[in-house]
Amino acid sequence: MKLSLNWLREFIDIPSKHTGADIGKLLTLHTAEVESIEDEAQAYEKMRVGKVLKIRPHPNADKLRLVDVDIGKEQTVQMVCGGKNLYMNMLVAIALPGAKVRWHGEGDLAELTEAKIRGENSHGMICAGEEIGLDPDNTPTSTEIHIKNLSSLKAKPGTPLSEALKKNDVVFDIDNKSLTHRPDLWSHHGMARELSVIFKKPLKKSKALFNFKAKTPAKGALKINIKDQEICPRFSACTVSGVKITESPQWIKSLLQTVDIRPINNVVDVTNYVMLELGQPMHAYDCELVGNTLEVRYAKKGESLETIDHKKRPLHEQDPMVANAKGPLGVAGIMGGANSEIREATTEVILEAANWNPQIIRKCSMRHGLRSEASQRFEKGLDPHLTERAVHRAIVLLEETCPNLQLMSPITTVGDWQPSSLKIKFRPETTRSKIGLNLSNTEMIRILKTLDFKVTPKGKIWEVTVPSHRATGDVKIEDDLVEEIARIYGYNEIPDQLPALPICLPLENEERIHKHDARRILAYQLGFTEALNYSFYSEEDFHRAGLQSLRHIRVKNALSNEQTHMRVSLVPGVLKNIAKNGREHAQMKLFEIGRTYKETGEFMPLEEKWIVTAIAYPPSKNEIFYDAKGALESFLKKFRTPNVFLKECTTPPAYAHPKKTVEIVACGEPIGYVFTLHPSVARAFDIEHDVGCFELNFTKLVSQGRKTAQFKELPKFPNMPFDVSLIIERKKSVAEVERTIRSGDPHSLIHSVKLFDTYEGPNIPQGKKSLAFTIELRHNDHTLSDKEFQETQRAVFEAIEKIGGQVRKG
Amino acid sequence: MHKKLAELEATGTKMLMEINTEEALKFWYQKFLSRQGELTQLLKQLGSLSVEEKRTFGKACNELKVELEGQFKMRQNELAQKTIEHSLKEEWIDLTAPGKEYPTGHIHPIAQTQEEVERIFQQMGFTVVDGPEIESEYYNFEGLNVPAHHPARDMQDTFFIEKEPHNDEGYLVLRTHTSPNQIRAMRQYGVPIRIIVPGRCFRNEATDTSHEHTFDQVEGLLIDKDISIAHLKGVMIEFLSRLFKKKMRVRFRPGYFPFVEPGMELDMSCIFCNENGCRVCKHTGWMEFMGCGMTHPHVLRTGGIDPDEYGGWAFGFGLTRLTMMRYGINDIRHFNGGDLRFLEQF
Repeated sequence: MKLSLNWLREFIDIPSKHTGADIGKLLTLHTAEVESIEDEAQAYEKMRVGKVLKIRPHPNADKLRLVDVDIGKEQTVQMVCGGKNLYMNMLVAIALPGAKVRWHGEGDLAELTEAKIRGENSHGMICAGEEIGLDPDNTPTSTEIHIKNLSSLKAKPGTPLSEALKKNDVVFDIDNKSLTHRPDLWSHHGMARELSVIFKKPLKKSKALFNFKAKTPAKGALKINIKDQEICPRFSACTVSGVKITESPQWIKSLLQTVDIRPINNVVDVTNYVMLELGQPMHAYDCELVGNTLEVRYAKKGESLETIDHKKRPLHEQDPMVANAKGPLGVAGIMGGANSEIREATTEVILEAANWNPQIIRKCSMRHGLRSEASQRFEKGLDPHLTERAVHRAIVLLEETCPNLQLMSPITTVGDWQPSSLKIKFRPETTRSKIGLNLSNTEMIRILKTLDFKVTPKGKIWEVTVPSHRATGDVKIEDDLVEEIARIYGYNEIPDQLPALPICLPLENEERIHKHDARRILAYQLGFTEALNYSFYSEEDFHRAGLQSLRHIRVKNALSNEQTHMRVSLVPGVLKNIAKNGREHAQMKLFEIGRTYKETGEFMPLEEKWIVTAIAYPPSKNEIFYDAKGALESFLKKFRTPNVFLKECTTPPAYAHPKKTVEIVACGEPIGYVFTLHPSVARAFDIEHDVGCFELNFTKLVSQGRKTAQFKELPKFPNMPFDVSLIIERKKSVAEVERTIRSGDPHSLIHSVKLFDTYEGPNIPQGKKSLAFTIELRHNDHTLSDKEFQETQRAVFEAIEKIGGQVRKG
Repeated sequence: MHKKLAELEATGTKMLMEINTEEALKFWYQKFLSRQGELTQLLKQLGSLSVEEKRTFGKACNELKVELEGQFKMRQNELAQKTIEHSLKEEWIDLTAPGKEYPTGHIHPIAQTQEEVERIFQQMGFTVVDGPEIESEYYNFEGLNVPAHHPARDMQDTFFIEKEPHNDEGYLVLRTHTSPNQIRAMRQYGVPIRIIVPGRCFRNEATDTSHEHTFDQVEGLLIDKDISIAHLKGVMIEFLSRLFKKKMRVRFRPGYFPFVEPGMELDMSCIFCNENGCRVCKHTGWMEFMGCGMTHPHVLRTGGIDPDEYGGWAFGFGLTRLTMMRYGINDIRHFNGGDLRFLEQF
């Protein structure tokens, strides 16, 4: 919402030593956030009123002339000018070097410098209206630049332009969100009331604003019939005649323009003016079109209305209406109808100021996607007192342009609203304790009273009466009064203090600690980089990963087709990362720790945390599965999860290569997979790399607990290693060969068996493979004898041969 | 024999003096002192000598052996020293050539900031808790004093889940803030309570350099007896000072959040200009940091806590925004973009 400082000054004398910036800062600190401050005079810096003294031809240009201009302070300067409408003694707007102008009214603002134009000095420029943000002077048919003629201002040469044009206002732009709970501040009068408390200056008397001259007739001709009471607690209206539709006076137009409201005609401008001044939106109907009876009711089934924005809107049975016998005239509190709009020929007007039920207005405005200045105010809950005052004020303002204004009806107010006073119990002691500041009772009373609260300060519990403009939902309980006192006194007067630590220590969040650990292991020990992906993905994403058979949770109002479903797996996201980075990176190791969201049949979906890792290399003969498996094994070793095993996988996930997947099992329960990416899925994601992954249900992994390292005595006797290389049928598993090797151990000496090479290809018979192991022997009591060593070696060879292996000796 | 020994000594010593390479030295050792060496050969002839001769000649042989071995060691050391000196003098490597690369991974900047935030609050006695990201309207709104059709619902554009509403809890939504966990935690742990809840939140708004529909927030809640705004100020100054590793200042301004009363915005002193005013803080010296306030009695009651006995405050700040400030990241969309060129910078 925009506020004009000049307008505010009509209600309060703010000492002139306070700049716009000061006032803005105080509003921000005590009331509501000022998003920006616009000082009108700034746009006219280095601009003055000048007087044309001499016009000479430009020696080097036909269309330009040299002009001597009196710029005040007994200075005359030469300027080059192309305007044809210059004449002697004309008063013009001049921009001196340093001023910012918009050349020919187009493009960005540019800073003027002293310049030579076709060889002649120009000390600044003589401006056209559009070059300095004023209305252009030229006729619509002419495209030539017309210099702005300021002769009518009768200003002295040298007068600052902002002063001459009365462009000395400061406009504050208040963040509407910070006014959500303050219906009383949506107007200049309301904000002035707040400033009067901040500056400790009384509001100016405002009686004259409401005293109109027009006579009240003896009996009225206006009937208002509220059929559905809940819609409208209070409705004030009046019919006036003698209206002549014209332009508003300049002062109204310029105040409206200052706060970004477009002037339309005297009647519409008055309704807007009253809204911006008092905070009460109004509506004006052409009485000839509407008749003398208004009714307030819900819309009827099948009704529709063309609103003043010329959109035809079908109405809903919960939409509040102002209507006459023929049908709807306007959507109450939101937008009027085209059928009763003020016309050029209008002479009789019904001025309406009503108080509408905030929730009904809000629902209706959301239903129609229609928010107006009026509905924004009504939905916050306005003070019902305002309705009558607003009608009075509107009549006063209309009298400015319509001297023959007559009332055709008395000001009529209907509705079941009764003034009542809300009283709150207030404990000064509790308030001090909540704020953390030893405020005196006197100070608290002062603040509350200047904010128009009535205070009965007796004993430990006081009674505070809420003024009507704060009683529509904003101030309801003691805590609201605590806020009033704290903010007006100043939050920044409150000292800082650390709370005493409790004796009971906080609970540990184990899962969080483990999560940070897991990240560190994956990143800093295993070399993976963490990516974070969105929690939703597209239908296409999960189709590509083959996840379409799983039930997905859908987002009802997704932002785009890319983000329609909650992810049930982190795999598609990580695959997209691989595909995206693959163009620039040959090798990638990525991981994500994040949540999946699954439908379980319960109301609340199941959210689980998963780790997904992916390793990607350019295609090669090396099976990437083993990279992924190795990464998992190292991770588990470091993470120290007990009792985790890898198991053959009968039903691998759709994105996994069916022959290259193992299941990760903890306590009999599957908690993840290690796999090579399914080649079709790789294709679907446009991935050319080999990709190996592991995924782990982190929630379940952590529930297994974590082991603590256990010290083992260091061996006293040395290891005796030997290597064995063998050729065996290619489908014999390493696990089986290893078991076989361990079985050939007559003296129980085999301490470890490690595969260090596998090979298939030239020099190895078809259907066979070569495996090479290092076997370490050790005894805890003595150094091995040659005999023990040789016997074990022989037993190992024999065992291998028994399962069809051929030991390569030498 | 003795003559041979003397010759051996003379040639051996002389040759040794002339040796300049490790290889020649090895050869010399072979020639004189090894098993097949000349000295050993001489000793082998010991058998043909008388006892007396055996004694004197044997002794002389051994003395020579010790002598030659001593000289050999010396020469060896000299040569080694020479080699070292030579290498120190002559060797050159290109110190500007890159070191060998040890590939390491990277933790996401948001996760790094989050861990730091958690660490500081844990030091101040706060527990880190967690809650669902798919929430019910009840916990996300009504329980927090934001009834249906309250204008405050506009402040947070909400994603809804396609599912029939629950009788008491309404529709499922993607939580628009971490605040639902105020109620969940109060109900679960009771009072006194001091928690923070870092987590992912969602708002249905278009994305640009400073707006994201997915972002991380940190909720804080402290409920106990005799808790004031002064404590909130104290805790936040301490937190920010520890996080930015310099003395920070904060200021409160009025703000509106239905679940707190009084409601405030907290600004922190600009970390870029030390309150002198710069482009980042729009020349105010302050940066918006978070919304906060004293927990509304409605929220306390919803959490099962008697507002006449207990009270406290809550806050919520943007972890994503904090991370942007911390690392000078200028586009929020990098966080979920998954681009390694971004991720590898942290």
